[in-house]
Amino acid sequence: MKRFGFALLSTLMISALFPYPALGDSMDIEAFRNRMVDQQIRKRGVEDTRVMNAMSQVPRHRFVPKGRVSEAYADHPLPIGEGQTISQPYIVALMTERLKLTGGERVLEIGTGSGYQAAILAEVAKEVFTMEIKKGLHERSTETLKSLKFNNIRTRHGDGYFGWEEFAPFDAIMITAAVNHIPPPLLKQLKNGGRLILPLGNPFHFQHLTLVTKKGEDYNVKQITGVLFVPMTGHAMDRSQ
Amino acid sequence: MILPAVFLLSFSSLAFEVLLTRVFSISQWNHLSFMVISIGLFGFAASGTFLSISESKQFRWHRYISVKIPVTLLIIGYSASAVVSFILSNRIPLDYFRIPLEFNQSFYLLTAYLLLSLPFFFTGLTVCSAYAFLPEKTGAVYLATMTGAALGAFFPIPLLAILGLERSVFVSALIPLIILPFNASGCLKRLFLGVSVPIVATIAVLFVFSPITYVSPSPYKSLSQMLRFPDTEITETSTTLRGRMDEVKSPYIRFAPGLSLKYTEQLPRQHAIFKDGDSPLTLYDIRSPSDLDFAEFTLPYSGYFLNPRPASVLLLINGGGTSIPCALASRAQKIVIVEQHPFSAIRIQSQYGLTVIAENPRTFISNAGEKYSIIHIEDWGPSLPGTAALDQSHLFTLRAFRDYMDHLQSEGVIILSRKLLLPPSDSLRLWATAYEALKAGGSKAPEQHMAVLRNWDTFTLLISKTPIRNSEKIRSFARNLNFDLVYLPDLTQKETNRYNEFDRPYHYEAISRLKASYGSGEEKRFFQTYLLDVSPQSDDRPFPSRFLKWTRILDQYKSMGSRFYSLFLSGEVIVGVVFLEALFISILLLLIPVSGLLKRSGKPAAHAVLFFTGIGFGFMFIELYFIKAFTLLFGDPVISLTVVLTGILVYSGAGGFCSKYIGYRNLGIFILALVVILLMSFYGLRILLGYIVGQSEVIRYLTAFLVLLPFGFLMGIPFPLGMQFLLLNPAHRAYGWAVNGCASVLTSILSVQIALSFGIAYILVCAVAAYGLVYISCRRRR
Repeated sequence: MKRFGFALLSTLMISALFPYPALGDSMDIEAFRNRMVDQQIRKRGVEDTRVMNAMSQVPRHRFVPKGRVSEAYADHPLPIGEGQTISQPYIVALMTERLKLTGGERVLEIGTGSGYQAAILAEVAKEVFTMEIKKGLHERSTETLKSLKFNNIRTRHGDGYFGWEEFAPFDAIMITAAVNHIPPPLLKQLKNGGRLILPLGNPFHFQHLTLVTKKGEDYNVKQITGVLFVPMTGHAMDRSQ
Repeated sequence: MILPAVFLLSFSSLAFEVLLTRVFSISQWNHLSFMVISIGLFGFAASGTFLSISESKQFRWHRYISVKIPVTLLIIGYSASAVVSFILSNRIPLDYFRIPLEFNQSFYLLTAYLLLSLPFFFTGLTVCSAYAFLPEKTGAVYLATMTGAALGAFFPIPLLAILGLERSVFVSALIPLIILPFNASGCLKRLFLGVSVPIVATIAVLFVFSPITYVSPSPYKSLSQMLRFPDTEITETSTTLRGRMDEVKSPYIRFAPGLSLKYTEQLPRQHAIFKDGDSPLTLYDIRSPSDLDFAEFTLPYSGYFLNPRPASVLLLINGGGTSIPCALASRAQKIVIVEQHPFSAIRIQSQYGLTVIAENPRTFISNAGEKYSIIHIEDWGPSLPGTAALDQSHLFTLRAFRDYMDHLQSEGVIILSRKLLLPPSDSLRLWATAYEALKAGGSKAPEQHMAVLRNWDTFTLLISKTPIRNSEKIRSFARNLNFDLVYLPDLTQKETNRYNEFDRPYHYEAISRLKASYGSGEEKRFFQTYLLDVSPQSDDRPFPSRFLKWTRILDQYKSMGSRFYSLFLSGEVIVGVVFLEALFISILLLLIPVSGLLKRSGKPAAHAVLFFTGIGFGFMFIELYFIKAFTLLFGDPVISLTVVLTGILVYSGAGGFCSKYIGYRNLGIFILALVVILLMSFYGLRILLGYIVGQSEVIRYLTAFLVLLPFGFLMGIPFPLGMQFLLLNPAHRAYGWAVNGCASVLTSILSVQIALSFGIAYILVCAVAAYGLVYISCRRRR
């Protein structure tokens, strides 16, 4: 706790010394967003134009807490409350790109968080189903997504470990919280040829961004890069649930 | 007053030191426990420097040592600093992984180091004063120090079982205070009451509100992580010298390493036991036979698939727990489990109703008369692989593999599963160890006896007693469960890296190169040129998780993405850093008093300084050799530490006491005798240890104490004689004490690296050199 306090204090002090430029009118915001796409995403090798367009259109600053708006387009994750974060823009783009969405897919996202990733997915897929275990975050993100008129996103409050059986199977599944194993119920809800992307590894150290592809009865697992996500919570293993 | 004070402070300090190794094992990692020894010795060395300076500045410490107040204050200083340093060091947010990233972590490390060395400083000051000012009683002082320390090393055994770790630290810290009432009168009594009553009252309060003193596991350890999940709690804790065992219930425990993605059902409910906050042993709630289904989908089950319905299975367990459902699912007729820790053994027995033997696995396998269809060894190591670099494990040595082979039935299989590392390291080393063990056992084509499979984060090595004839069986197991083949006698590259894809089939390529090297007799060249140290380990060099090569450190740095902090994940780099720090501090401690000494008392003779340097090195080399060597016998480094400290200190005390009858004239003969038995032991002890590891507990302990007798006795003679006859005045004696302490600090760190790089026996060679120096320097007298 003390360590956290120290880290927080250091961050605040550094922030005070080097403040981010304030986001002003819509022109400014668009410029920040375009710079984000150009500097942080395109230069790092993301090539899918649909993903790039989505990142250029979705107003990321609407998904971050008010006090953090000036950092919305910075090259790092941001806290959004309840111990959760909004991912670094590059990771959002990379994960979306690796799902190879063409526009007609049904996608399940586990861990709505701020709702930003769901919004990006909604720009490149037909339908997005997103689940969040933390009620406060679920309510906030639902409201944000509604206010931005994302009509192809369904949100639900619940434990994503067990998926959303009612709308299964899915063409793609994205887990945006760290897990040390691939939840078997989610593999069951993946279509043949479907893709599942997740941060796999120790939930408290670092994980490998991993892509699982279902090919008939078999699964192919490929590690993409090292990442650091917040742990997935929920009654993952409680059989009584 | 001074002799009882020396005895009690030595007693308490050693108990405190042993308990600190337990604290470090929990709050940091086992591999940092070596720092505790250096912390204690640093306190001693600093006391010598302090006394030397104060004496050379004519503080006339000797005027006060005979009266009661200074000794009373030293004892109070010791107890107060021990308690306060323990509490404060527990609260310091030290995180050594962040040292290369954050400057404040270096400050925290230094603060913790200095704080914890403070009680040893007070003890050192008392003992050093006694040596410096009472040269005529040197033998008695030495006896009091050594016997006190020996009993103190033993004391935590009963104490931990009764009071637990935190309270044991307090009790051991407060013990010297019992002498104070006997020493008080008049104003002294008032002073004593005025100072000690508040301290004792504070301690009493701490007892009641013990959470503030609770030793928390490192935040990187799996217990710390598990406790961050909701609805997770520790249901029972048991503390002994072998470790703190925490039994944890949580709906989030989901342990099944090497589980295939083809398994889409839920796992059985689980709970876990954590040793020192890590290495969880998971126990599964098996309510119906279907609860065992998951085990058939795990990588280690490949061994049971190869050898179905085994007649008898031996499980050697150190954490983990999936081997038990595997054995149960195979419908083995007989299952024998060996788990060294009694707490875990009892829990396994009550959970599954199976036979569990709480014994050192190496002792068990050396003794076992029976042969098994399957021997399954389960040890996944700590949650951060690099932290195990300094850990001694005798489960994966050549001798251990030969023992396993000798206890296999004709169609038997050994199963070994570990975490998968990149660049390939553990898998290569174990493959090579199996190859050499098979070759030593008479196999003409060892490569025909092995198979390696992997998923994305674990691998399993199978070693068959007979050549694997039906490799198609393993292929179909891997194919059906989407595991990747890494090695089979007739494997082709096309068959590898199919389900859990890396950019290249790294593990297959590395093992293929190693196999080719063995085929052409160039395996030594392979081990020399490979990026990491992956050569097979012996009982003399039992560090299976140590891969660092100092000569290739730059290449390794680059292979890890040129990230400086990643080097620090290796415990061995920490040894290097701590050694450099200790060297710097030692030079400082020895240089500071020199100018004062030159002015007031003249400098001590060079041969006297060399004499005490040699003793500091030699004594510590021998002590650390035995601590490391006896870990094979007792299966636990802390038990080994306790046995060795108790034995050597008692015998050294006796040697010190007898030194006055021996006389300085005969010292050279006794040092030569020590050198001779050291040289004889270089090979002899290795053979002896190999023989007695399979004997009963009583014989192992008795042999250990007997072996220590001649060493301890002879090691105890030079120091008191040197103090009495080689040094001219109290300032010089204090300086000699500081020299001895600094040499010991450096040795405690250096011997870790010697064992890692060359083997444990080479520590003895260094001891021979050190006592050689003592012999040469004792030939000249003042």
